[in-house]
Amino acid sequence: MPNLPPKLQEIVDDFASMTREDKIETLIAYAESFPPLPDWLMEERDKMEPVPECMTPVRLFGEKQSDGGVVFHFDIPPQSPTVRGLAAILANGLNGLKPEEILTVPTDFFTPMKLEEAITHQRINGFMGVLAHMKHAAVNLISNK
Amino acid sequence: MSYVHPEYLVDTEWVAAHLNDANVRIIESDEDPLLYPIGHIPGAAQVDWFSTLQHPLRRDFLTREKFEEVASNLGITNDTTVVFYGDKSNWFACYALWLFQYYGHQNVRILNGGRLKWEQEKRELVKDVPSFAKSSYKAKEADKSIRAFRDEVLKQSNSKKPLVDVRSPKEYSGELISMPNYPQEGATRGGHIPGAVSIPWAQAVNEADSTFKTPDELRALYEGKGIKSDGEVIAYCRIGERSSLTWFVLKYLLGYQNVKNYDGSWTEWGNLVDAPIEK
Repeated sequence: MPNLPPKLQEIVDDFASMTREDKIETLIAYAESFPPLPDWLMEERDKMEPVPECMTPVRLFGEKQSDGGVVFHFDIPPQSPTVRGLAAILANGLNGLKPEEILTVPTDFFTPMKLEEAITHQRINGFMGVLAHMKHAAVNLISNK
Repeated sequence: MSYVHPEYLVDTEWVAAHLNDANVRIIESDEDPLLYPIGHIPGAAQVDWFSTLQHPLRRDFLTREKFEEVASNLGITNDTTVVFYGDKSNWFACYALWLFQYYGHQNVRILNGGRLKWEQEKRELVKDVPSFAKSSYKAKEADKSIRAFRDEVLKQSNSKKPLVDVRSPKEYSGELISMPNYPQEGATRGGHIPGAVSIPWAQAVNEADSTFKTPDELRALYEGKGIKSDGEVIAYCRIGERSSLTWFVLKYLLGYQNVKNYDGSWTEWGNLVDAPIEK
């Protein structure tokens, strides 16, 4: 398995050693740290990419920084803390990376996290959906440059 | 016209007045299980449709013995009034209620409007998780009259009796099935059970505050599609959760005598060898 980006690897290792209760606590902490959508995107929600795999309405946007890194913004309702928590994990693990680096993250990178102890398969599917759309946004950033 | 069994609904006012009633247990059952730890109705307990109510190994519900254990740990006695509420217009609250009825607990209610209405009215939400003195709950034999299995569903379809597909229109038409990378819960085929009519579950609730639509609106919705109160009706969705809300509406709000929830739903039917499918 190729090495994960360091920040993401750290999150994966943390989760791997947690009890079910700790996983839930940590997901809540991620959900509660979920940043609001920046004002400039609030008015341009149409530009954001929908993630239809989630049962919750989820949209995301990859913003390219001057150094070439990508920062992801998410629009997820507060009524869906689990999805917010999972998106925050991905944002924490991947923000700042170059689009090419984002594409190297394996689809099943989260297997060692044993998320199924805390959340259902449906959620994990949504999580994979979010990652797939982040990669899609990264591909668009590469082809638009 | 009123609901046929209005006693199965309570409103937020009623719940607020019964927060300290020892004969009432309030239970939150959500699609998103993190909502409860972030804040819930004071004194409410949580059940999770998956980790609390499902069999740990098989695709099935808890056994009767395990259900007794869950109910006892919640301090529920056979006389307790159990009120369910949750997110997403109470769809998982109805699922939990259905399971309680499956094991014979008759004294159940849905908080009309669920979590959303409680929040909209700015009522108190707390993080404290209550603990209850353990009771010794006795469940009844599983009530198969509210649960349909696949052979029965096939018979229902073959004899052209009413089936309600409560999934989204795209799932019904077969446009949406399993997506790439979704092996755990996809179905290998798309479409619907032959003869089933499409009445998406959410049409039974008001989007603005998650309350149920009026009796007249509900009657028009189901009767308009040929789902009448005489004879048996089977409702299904993808895993049986959305259809438990439809089951609740038909059985208690409209008073249909014979309604079953097919919890195998599309994730069983769409994978079943030799099962007929319509598109």
